[in-house]
Amino acid sequence: MSARLVADSRAGVVKAGPGRRNWAGLAWIAPAATMYGLFVLYPLTQTARYSLYEWDGFGEARFVGVANYQRLLTEPELRSSISHSFVLIGFFSILPMLLGLVCAVALARMDKNVFGSGARTVLFLPQVIPLVGAGIAWTWAYSTSGYVNQILGWLRLEGWARPWLSDFATALPAVGLIGTWVSFGFCTVLLLAGISRIDPHLLEAARLDGAAYWQELRHVIVPGLRREVAIGLTVTTVAALATFDIVYVSTNGGPGYATMVPGVEIYRLTFLSQEVGAASALALALIVLVLVVVTPIQLLMRDD
Amino acid sequence: MSIHENRRPAHAVLVSVALLSTLAACGSPGTADTSPTPSASVSAVENAEGDLTVLVSTPDVAFYEALAEAFEKQNPDVDVTVEGQDYNALATNAPRILSASNPPDLIKLGSFGNLAKDELIRPLDDYAEAYGWDAWPQSQFAAARIADDGITRGEGQLYGVGPGFGLTGIYMNDQLADQIGLTDPPATLGELESALAAAADEGIVPVMTNGKDGGTAFLLQNLQMDLAGSPEQMRAWVFGQEGASLAGDATTEAAATLQGWANDGYLPQDVNDIDQTAAPTRFTAGEGLFFPSGNWQAPGLDQAEGDFSFFLFPPADSGGQPTAMTAGSNLALSARSDNPDAAAAFLDFVQTDPEARQLTVSSGGLVPAGPADASTPEADGVIGDTVAAFDELVAEDGLVDFMANASSSIQVNTIVPNLQLLLANRQAPDEFTSELQEGYERETGG
Repeated sequence: MSARLVADSRAGVVKAGPGRRNWAGLAWIAPAATMYGLFVLYPLTQTARYSLYEWDGFGEARFVGVANYQRLLTEPELRSSISHSFVLIGFFSILPMLLGLVCAVALARMDKNVFGSGARTVLFLPQVIPLVGAGIAWTWAYSTSGYVNQILGWLRLEGWARPWLSDFATALPAVGLIGTWVSFGFCTVLLLAGISRIDPHLLEAARLDGAAYWQELRHVIVPGLRREVAIGLTVTTVAALATFDIVYVSTNGGPGYATMVPGVEIYRLTFLSQEVGAASALALALIVLVLVVVTPIQLLMRDD
Repeated sequence: MSIHENRRPAHAVLVSVALLSTLAACGSPGTADTSPTPSASVSAVENAEGDLTVLVSTPDVAFYEALAEAFEKQNPDVDVTVEGQDYNALATNAPRILSASNPPDLIKLGSFGNLAKDELIRPLDDYAEAYGWDAWPQSQFAAARIADDGITRGEGQLYGVGPGFGLTGIYMNDQLADQIGLTDPPATLGELESALAAAADEGIVPVMTNGKDGGTAFLLQNLQMDLAGSPEQMRAWVFGQEGASLAGDATTEAAATLQGWANDGYLPQDVNDIDQTAAPTRFTAGEGLFFPSGNWQAPGLDQAEGDFSFFLFPPADSGGQPTAMTAGSNLALSARSDNPDAAAAFLDFVQTDPEARQLTVSSGGLVPAGPADASTPEADGVIGDTVAAFDELVAEDGLVDFMANASSSIQVNTIVPNLQLLLANRQAPDEFTSELQEGYERETGG
């Protein structure tokens, strides 16, 4: 039995009306739905179509069935690019969420003064900067004579100075930290909004019961942030799996293949190798991967 | 909100599957027949007329505008517009640009990819006959010829010509050379390695090169050709000829040599972090005795402070043939151009006119080829060295194309990553050789 709800403007009460369609609702979503259909759904079907062919984008296409998908499973570079994007989930998603939680909790206590709102603005700035700009700035910072090595020099830690983005061991974490920097402010602001949404009566009740601050945190605040955590994790995980800008600008998949990710691989297959079919297959595989990772997050965090 | 619409997700899935399968069955994307084939026979024009658009990469705009001005002076009825685009963007977008409704007449392309097969660029053999290019030394055109299969180069129809050629070699910092007592450029590979050792002992960085985006590939290619004893194996490989392979001792030895140089400290410590703008900057600032690069750097070095000279990569044994890579700065003629005659006249002009050839050397940093009896541009300093070196090589047929041009993506996908692994000691030389050949077969075999 499905409930169909119709808003009744006279009584302002929601009424159940079986068999009556919500035409007003459809009209409101029509523009957005059209855009979505045109720019997301239609290209998606075309990508699925291209993935069955061997095509360079302009000339004749040759039907090859699932050959492109088989390639995904056999070529080691394509497999390692997927494992790299999982590593990036840790940096783009989990680390910023943890840091954001700490920051949001700290900021919530000083929310009332100017410092609080100023801090929020500054923290959110990395989200506003185009990813390409962030990537370029960080590439300079990570270079042999860049800020990171300079700061290490001031701290008398010159032994640790190295070209971070060109060293095989540090390249992927270094790229990951760029993403942490970008997402951290977003997570902080999101969780801060969530904290302000928590019913103050709950916090008061906990305090009256004699809870210390960390107990308050553990039993009231963190559970109350479930929705925000789910949203934040979803958005940042998708960003991690689909990342292109940061990696392309900073390392272009190098050194060697140490930072190759599916996004850059798709770009290369399409524009450099001109293998649109293989790129489409990888793109679809990426979509499936994102769904596989995000669905459990959504299910786990559902509060009902 | 916990309303469960149990049937809706199922409906959605069914609909999308249906949609996907219908569209999948909708026939293949792309078109087989694209451009009209040129019909009438062509002839050399005395006075070009009409509008001409030339699309080049941004650093070349000034040079081509100078050429355009000279061309317009000789052909007052023609109007040439030079447009520039970022080099990478141009390489990526070339097919789109050429299949648009109003493409440029001439476009500068490093490699042609599938453009010839997809008939987006026009063969130039009829113009070659009309203007007499077919009587010139033909090795200059080899790299721009593509066979009918669309992949094999070095033979077949001609698809691009240009004002001049880039040429590789080694730049030497004369002041640092004095410090280690080096008066003449090394004449053999052995002498080069002694110079490297001497520089390292003096605390001078022996070789400055960009490992991030392919400068080290120059060294590898030169070493391979030296150790193989002839450039033939490399030439066949770069041209994608049937059965071409770089597997073998020469390549492995070259990789081992290069890895040894890195381990002995002959290359900069952060070589994999240096890119093609950082390398010449650091070299002109005095870091590095040798800088393997090409004649395109010569104008910049002549203007920089310090004394530099240029020499070709020495052969393995004394008396042998020096090896070098060259690639023509080629313009292709769009198949949909509406003024191909004027475009061809421009192509002839840049190759033969004395003023244009001089501009090529002094402004373009390239060396012109053209007819055997063409005027030799005047040049001194490092640029003069490069002109002399090129003439020597053309005469002895020692020109080979760059490894990077074997396919449109082999540099970025295979050559540079494996070199980075090799120089970081994460790959053995024989592994390098097999990875290189495997990558090549994947990219060219399809």
